[in-house]
Amino acid sequence: MTQEKSLAAPHFLSNAVLIKQGAEARVYRTEFLGKPMIVKERFPKRYRHPALDEKLTHRRTVQEVRSILRCRKAGICAPVVYFVDYISHCIFLEEIMSSLTVRDHIASIQQSGSCKEQELEYIADRVGQILATMHDEDVIHGDLTTSNMLLRCGLEDGDMEDMVIIDFGLSYISALPEDKGVDLYVLEKAFLSTHPNTEALFERLLKTYAASSKKSSAVIKKLDEVPQLTLSRN
Amino acid sequence: NQTQQLELFPEHRVTQMLFKEVKNAAELRRSAVDGQINGALVNPTMLVSPFQVLVAANKALHLQKIGKMKTRSLYSEIIFNLSPTNNISEAFKRFGISDGDESVMVVLVHSQDESQIVSDIAAKVDGLQVPVAEVSSLSDTAKIKKLYKVTPREEKCGTLEDAVICRMATKDVV
Ligand SMILES: Nc1ncnc2c1ncn2[C@@H]1O[C@H](COP(=O)(O)O)[C@@H](O)[C@H]1O
Repeated sequence: MTQEKSLAAPHFLSNAVLIKQGAEARVYRTEFLGKPMIVKERFPKRYRHPALDEKLTHRRTVQEVRSILRCRKAGICAPVVYFVDYISHCIFLEEIMSSLTVRDHIASIQQSGSCKEQELEYIADRVGQILATMHDEDVIHGDLTTSNMLLRCGLEDGDMEDMVIIDFGLSYISALPEDKGVDLYVLEKAFLSTHPNTEALFERLLKTYAASSKKSSAVIKKLDEVPQLTLSRN
Repeated sequence: NQTQQLELFPEHRVTQMLFKEVKNAAELRRSAVDGQINGALVNPTMLVSPFQVLVAANKALHLQKIGKMKTRSLYSEIIFNLSPTNNISEAFKRFGISDGDESVMVVLVHSQDESQIVSDIAAKVDGLQVPVAEVSSLSDTAKIKKLYKVTPREEKCGTLEDAVICRMATKDVV
């Protein structure tokens, strides 16, 4: 009923730059209210019943926004939310300028020559600490990969956090250790397949996670219970 | 004056005017309540920047278009949107002007060619108009941090403005 009353955002986005066409959302880059922004637009899935689809899409949008806010309050950098349109399911987000993904950063350290071990360990420790804080806040990211972690380049302010977590599209709030375990499991799979010969590095990440999180022992136990994972570790 | 077009509502403009040394705040407030001033009169000490007002105005117009405003008019909705809570009377108390106030931010939403309306309202204010960007020098940051519950941890992820905008944009679902 209300849908047709809100063509403003889709109309505006028809002139924005599409940077990613995903299975459930399109991501655009644009300028909005005078700032560079990223807009994430969830679109209807035709194979689902419209009312159900609307409900699920609304819930995903709400969860994404809630997770971002909860992270920021805990000191984990995530893009600022500027505006949410719950009719056309658009989230207007801060564009993280001059950043590179942790994925590209690790790859370039691995390619370069000397003293790379320390730099890699720094990254692993940062990720471990951030995920520990995030899980202590009961935020489950849902799609942890090194592409969804950005590093701000050339920060002048030494007090500012340098790592930014993005794409909370599959995130939700949960206190269950198994949900956190699966979150880490998803990262482990992505990490080891993206970055060759990083088993020891990922172990370090987990160790830092365990040391930084107040509730990590149950989570690590759950992570170890995922059978394939136990196999690949030993 | 600072006038900006809203990308989602190209037929609308938002004009902000900042006044200091205001002598007739009580009279202005009464005129707004009586409907004689068609604009939002905002307490600038609770604002971090003009951008904050723009975000509130954009959301107000959006909610007006889809028939989901929480208050009775576009201008009260702008004031309500500035607040981190869903308590309407508290929003007016904090973000509206009070009788003794010495500074006022006037916010107008209009179509392209209504400079007359803008200057008519400016003429009602007995005060000194200053550039809108000066609002940041009037901000009571301690009070703002307390009201929006901004912690030092969060300030490591961005500016106070970022924290404030995030609260405003997400308050309906948290
Ligand atoms: N807030 C952001 N700032 C900068 N780039 C982003 C942001 N959000 C998404 N991107 C880029 O857009 C791609 C797709 O976004 P997403 O679907 O959120 O993963 C990401 O892999 C990033 O390269």
